[in-house]
Amino acid sequence: MDTITRRRFIQMTGAGAVATAAHTLSIEEIANAAISRPLPLGTPILVVVTLYGGNDGLNTVVPFQDSVYHTLRPQLAYKDNQVIPIGDGLALNGAMTGFKSLWDKGQLAIVRGTGYPNPDRSHFSSMAIWQSAELNASKSGWLGRWVESQPEDPLLAISLGSVLPPLLAGNRRSGSVLPLGGLKVPGGSLASDCAKLSITSPQDDRLTAMAARSMRNLFEVSGEVTPILKDPAPPASDLPTLVGGNAGGDSNLSAQLEIVAKLIAAGSPTKVWSVSLGGFDTHADENTAQSLLLGAVSSSLSKFMSQMRSTNRSKDVTVLVYSEFGRRVRANASQGTDHGTSGPVFLLGEKVKGGFHGEQPSLNNLKDDDLAVTTDFRDIYAEMLESVLKTESSRVLANWRSKLSLVN
Amino acid sequence: MSHSPYLGGVNLVERRAISRLIHRVGFGPKPGEFEKLLSLGFDRASAQLLNPPATYSETQAQSLGLFDLGVQPRPNTPEILDYVDKKRFQLRTMTLWWLDQMVTLDNPLLERMTWFWHGHWATSYAKVDEPLVMFEHVNKLRQHAIGNFRAMAKEMVLDGALIFWLDGQKNTAAAPNENLSRELMELFILGVNRYSEADVKETAKALTGYKVKKSSGVVTSNLRQSYTGSISFLGTSGNFNALSLTDYLVSQRNCQRFIPERLWYRFITSATDLPMNSNIESAFTAREIASTMGALVRDSALQNPNFSQVRSPLEWLIAILRATKITPSKFERPDYLINLLNGLGQRPFYPPNVGGWPADEAWLSAASTQTRISAAQYLMKRADLSPISALPQASRIEGLANWLGVSSWSERTRQAFSGALRDPERLAVLAVCSPEYLVNA
Repeated sequence: MDTITRRRFIQMTGAGAVATAAHTLSIEEIANAAISRPLPLGTPILVVVTLYGGNDGLNTVVPFQDSVYHTLRPQLAYKDNQVIPIGDGLALNGAMTGFKSLWDKGQLAIVRGTGYPNPDRSHFSSMAIWQSAELNASKSGWLGRWVESQPEDPLLAISLGSVLPPLLAGNRRSGSVLPLGGLKVPGGSLASDCAKLSITSPQDDRLTAMAARSMRNLFEVSGEVTPILKDPAPPASDLPTLVGGNAGGDSNLSAQLEIVAKLIAAGSPTKVWSVSLGGFDTHADENTAQSLLLGAVSSSLSKFMSQMRSTNRSKDVTVLVYSEFGRRVRANASQGTDHGTSGPVFLLGEKVKGGFHGEQPSLNNLKDDDLAVTTDFRDIYAEMLESVLKTESSRVLANWRSKLSLVN
Repeated sequence: MSHSPYLGGVNLVERRAISRLIHRVGFGPKPGEFEKLLSLGFDRASAQLLNPPATYSETQAQSLGLFDLGVQPRPNTPEILDYVDKKRFQLRTMTLWWLDQMVTLDNPLLERMTWFWHGHWATSYAKVDEPLVMFEHVNKLRQHAIGNFRAMAKEMVLDGALIFWLDGQKNTAAAPNENLSRELMELFILGVNRYSEADVKETAKALTGYKVKKSSGVVTSNLRQSYTGSISFLGTSGNFNALSLTDYLVSQRNCQRFIPERLWYRFITSATDLPMNSNIESAFTAREIASTMGALVRDSALQNPNFSQVRSPLEWLIAILRATKITPSKFERPDYLINLLNGLGQRPFYPPNVGGWPADEAWLSAASTQTRISAAQYLMKRADLSPISALPQASRIEGLANWLGVSSWSERTRQAFSGALRDPERLAVLAVCSPEYLVNA
């Protein structure tokens, strides 16, 4: 497949053609809203991470003790000492050390075998199904419909980047986009004096220390967020966008999450954030590419979760990580894999029920050489709507009720 | 321990207690006031703050030029321009008038409590959209602010602004709207989960049939839309209307707990709940607000070092204006002050939602810090800084603490001051942006 951008992906799926224009936000607008009507502490926040390209689930949550796995992909299969065992005969990809520490804390849930009936192996069709949560993919995204079920507020759901992903597009109203650029940080001759005030003192009680820190955050915003926001997110040099192909998605997940972390910490009245990473279309030379990508997902999300812990909102945040499909069990001739069916979905957060959910699709019971679907992705969405966003799922997912309990 | 003359030999515990008094029960000291209270000692200082002179006379809407603007003219008519001008003028007048009261009254207890109740019955001009009706809503709160809660609640349940705000006018026997009945129990009188969903449905019936004239706020009862049958809720049943329902709710034991809980949250701490069997709760037996505030001030919690509080934007601004003798309506740009409060997220008459304004951490964003710094620069350029400029440089750090009613400066903040001792304006800016000023420790 050609190397394509998420922008083009969105054009091709037609989601760009939704009737509603996405509101383009400025960082000042979000900052002002964070001041004038900060999200009340304790309000749940959902961060959706889309992995574009079709992540190979079998080399993410690896059935490393299954002989069929080694037989079907001899050159791609990971050996015992290359993976991180987490029980049930499964192991995390060796690059996912950050996820392992979240797993050990009970803050990582893995929903196995997730997909939908009659899998579509087109990136675009399958992603459209995942993002719309409808099998005959409609033009509205599931979180776009959620936005429409809520009181109107352009800050309610924000996607990083200048193009609205289909999942945030509604029929009449949509989520907003925050382009990665354009922060104006005021200067001032008082800055050096104020910098002195921003140091926490041993005499400070909790709130006084927080007041000092809020002053420091101001300088961090100017010092750190500005450079990030000023330039388009640079393609990270360590991510293999060429080798793996780039079926949409932005290339710098950690930069996006960095901004989301700061805006959540600042109190942005936003309940849904959307970020993405591309490059998972690993038809060739998969292992190096995928490990780098999964390493980036794992380290940037574990860093994000630890950033949340330094705010008061760590309990409020739940992260959902998905891709449009898994990949074929049998390796292809170029040390890669082709488009497949089900895959694992990750949920991260202090509120999630850590551990395995759903059944691991058996390698002895393949359907047309592909993994079976054991969990419908709409069960996960329904649970996100009900338990995280506190919204009746039937308002967003036609007649779908979750059979899963994934969040405390 | 160093006893500079400006500490007046008063120990730090007493300084903190009096700093909490003047900032929480008051709106911060006028110049010289903190020293006076220190010399009185905590008991006499609190007695003084809790007993405003009885010279207060009610300000009528009329005397401020507020009147019923009538039905809004249609768009694109000559009349609409005049109408909008008048409306804007009225809103501005009443906002500045209230800010003036907070800033200029020697003893602002009544306004402090009115401000508290405004956040409690959190009704917003954003929906009410009628200056007169909003002013009268707050004036009713003022009338009962340190009086009897039962009388206040009964006044509120038939207040045009509140009913309009919570869709009470849409609540009819044929199609009950539960917004008002739910909030009445959850947010105003009993507290969350102290009633059942069935209670919400039942009590909504007692609130049916009230109509509000939007421009005047006059409430009438339309018997044809009122539910006239008996209702069952909270262990009772019978015929209830808005007043008898409110009366019953206020008599509930949970009301005696809930209002002290809210006072605790706003005046003591949002970090922990009101303890069980608190004197503050027992002081509310007769639903008298003044004696409950007395118990709150006497409670040892007011002096608990853990119970610091972030000053909300309005409290921060009013305290600065009191110290610098800036009267809002006479300021060179009064609208600057209103816009500032709006930008900081706490404009009077505009609570963000029916839950009122947030507390503590919520006010500490980097963006609000930025706004406070530039506002402090703007204000201090136009302020009376004589309480500091009159002092020799060596005494200015202690002088700042006494002027602003801060119990003590940390080493960090002293360091920041040390390079600015020659410049009272810069000192004042740093002082009001310091963590010790943002947080009433």
